[in-house]
Amino acid sequence: MKPIDTYPRTQSFDIENIHSLSRGEEGTISDVPEMSLLASLGLRLGKRVKLLSKSFAGGPVVLSVDDRSIAVDRELAEKITIRK
Amino acid sequence: MAHCGPKKQRRRRKHKHHFGGDTHKTILLMGLPNVGKSAIFSRFTGLDAMVSNYSGTTVEFYEAPMTINNETYLLKDAPGIYNLQNPNDDAERVAMDMMKDRPEAIVFVLDAINFESSLHLLMQVLEYNIPTVVALNRTDLMKSRGMTIDRSLLQNRLNVSVIPTVALKGNSLDLVKYALRQTIDKEVQYTVPTENKDRWRTVEELNEEAVKTTPRKNGVDRFAFLAKPFPGIPIALLVLATMFAFVIGFGMGLRQFLLLPFFNSLVFPYIRQGVEALTASELLRAILIGEDYGFLIKGIEWPFALVLPYVISFYAMMSVLEDTGYLPRIAVLLDGVFKKIGLSGSSAIPLLLGYGCGIPAIMSTRSLPSRKQRLSVAVMVCFAVPCVSQTGAFIALLAERSVFAFLFIFFVSIFAMVIVGLIMDKINKQSVPFTLMELPPLLVPAPKLLSKKILFRVRHYLKEGAVPMVVAIFFAAILYELGFFPALGRALSPVVSGWLMLPEAASTPLVLGVFRRELAVLPLLDLDLTTVQFFTGALVALFYVPCIAMIATLAKEFNVKTALLVFIATTATALFIGGLFARGYDAIMMLFG
Repeated sequence: MKPIDTYPRTQSFDIENIHSLSRGEEGTISDVPEMSLLASLGLRLGKRVKLLSKSFAGGPVVLSVDDRSIAVDRELAEKITIRK
Repeated sequence: MAHCGPKKQRRRRKHKHHFGGDTHKTILLMGLPNVGKSAIFSRFTGLDAMVSNYSGTTVEFYEAPMTINNETYLLKDAPGIYNLQNPNDDAERVAMDMMKDRPEAIVFVLDAINFESSLHLLMQVLEYNIPTVVALNRTDLMKSRGMTIDRSLLQNRLNVSVIPTVALKGNSLDLVKYALRQTIDKEVQYTVPTENKDRWRTVEELNEEAVKTTPRKNGVDRFAFLAKPFPGIPIALLVLATMFAFVIGFGMGLRQFLLLPFFNSLVFPYIRQGVEALTASELLRAILIGEDYGFLIKGIEWPFALVLPYVISFYAMMSVLEDTGYLPRIAVLLDGVFKKIGLSGSSAIPLLLGYGCGIPAIMSTRSLPSRKQRLSVAVMVCFAVPCVSQTGAFIALLAERSVFAFLFIFFVSIFAMVIVGLIMDKINKQSVPFTLMELPPLLVPAPKLLSKKILFRVRHYLKEGAVPMVVAIFFAAILYELGFFPALGRALSPVVSGWLMLPEAASTPLVLGVFRRELAVLPLLDLDLTTVQFFTGALVALFYVPCIAMIATLAKEFNVKTALLVFIATTATALFIGGLFARGYDAIMMLFG
């Protein structure tokens, strides 16, 4: 995985974590923890993701990536950064 | 990229598997979870396999013989996995071991919908250089999503046969078999990248070249609302309420209008006549056709006329729910709430299954991420989840007198589940692993596979549930007619009459309940009780010892100590709460009435 700094970016505040997206918003993954399951579920560098829903009581967020729905733990979602 | 030819390694194919003493050549079905492997297995073997849409149900794998080129192979349905290296869980470990055993051939189910992840797994599989045939599955969904996949490009690059299939409908599976015949005796040498990073890059390049998509408006987003708290939660409640209404309504209809009339007018009269013609012994007649525990009457009526209808209606509904792929949405909705008691949302599935039978429920806890969660959920099922046989008995006992009392029992069940969960969490504090799961696309279940699955489960009930129930009733009939129960009633009378305020005869269900859950309820039917007493009995039965088979399952899945502790704790809780209710009600009535 490429470190986040090798990506060209103009302004640092373009970077957010997935959990801060609002419903229906999209972004491109710029950094993601090294977990084989994340990669297999399509959450890899450069992938376009869309936030489908957030749960309540600290539940997971649901993302769409490559036309699949993936439920990601809130804490984990906060570790995945995206560029809008 | 790859080449295959008749080279060395010929010795390898002579290697056979040792399985239960027999030697079998095996063929392995591999693929991601929920991509139709079980459907292919079911179509190939014609034997019963569970086909389920929920991630994890194939941790137990199925196997059945299959004939290729006049030779019999053992087809094994490997657990659905994402990764063959550095296994993350039991399913991946099992699948990896199966690969290391070197099967004769592999049928790889390449999911057209999860193309990249499937391809990534396929490349790991090809590294083993075992003859492989690829079924490119769910091509119907693929087309409906406006996608095309260049099959010949895949075939050329990977040097494997790729056959587009729709496993759920059985389309083109003959072609897969044909390809298997062509491939199984070949020596193969596949060339695939072995470094994880290269592998993903190759996958993404292949995806770029082979897959063409016409963009469409409604993707998975169409059903996204199901996983949103609103309207997801109201919908989930509606779905579950509909499910239970159907289970009860359909089951009751089946019982009242079909099974009971059938047995009462066509079976029992002949049994009575037959027994009366065969023996004049009063004792023997009482044991066989007596009013109370007549073995040939109750031994048929209880398992087949009272309980079976609910077993059929429950599993029909549960199987539909599983095969649509809706259950993981419930897991996501409940995840946050379950976290509060140290569990993940996927615990909802074993708990729901527990309303069918506790044994598959405890076994299905295997798919939960930690031992602590497994234990918590198993104990919750033992304490507070009535199985379908018992629910059927509750309906017979309560619903026909007071629907309110029946619903209240279920309310108590849910409340108790939370309490038990909290206690288990306190005893065994552990952090909950991250939730990370795919929500499979919603599907209309295939009737053929669905009916096979329901049949399989009902047959399981007949074998594992009904037969032990008949045996238990047989012994009960003998003991009853020999005058054992009145003596037992006197012995247990301090507990039964003194504490629970039930008649002495109610000690019988307490003893029988150890063997079968519903037997803690059914004998109460024949006693002349007040609604409050019926409710006390039902309450005791709910918390009481789960049946002996569940205790045995606990001992097998965990250990004997756990099983014994659950046995003692459930009995104590049941008696304590039952008595508390009876006395509390009594006190309130004295105050106000």
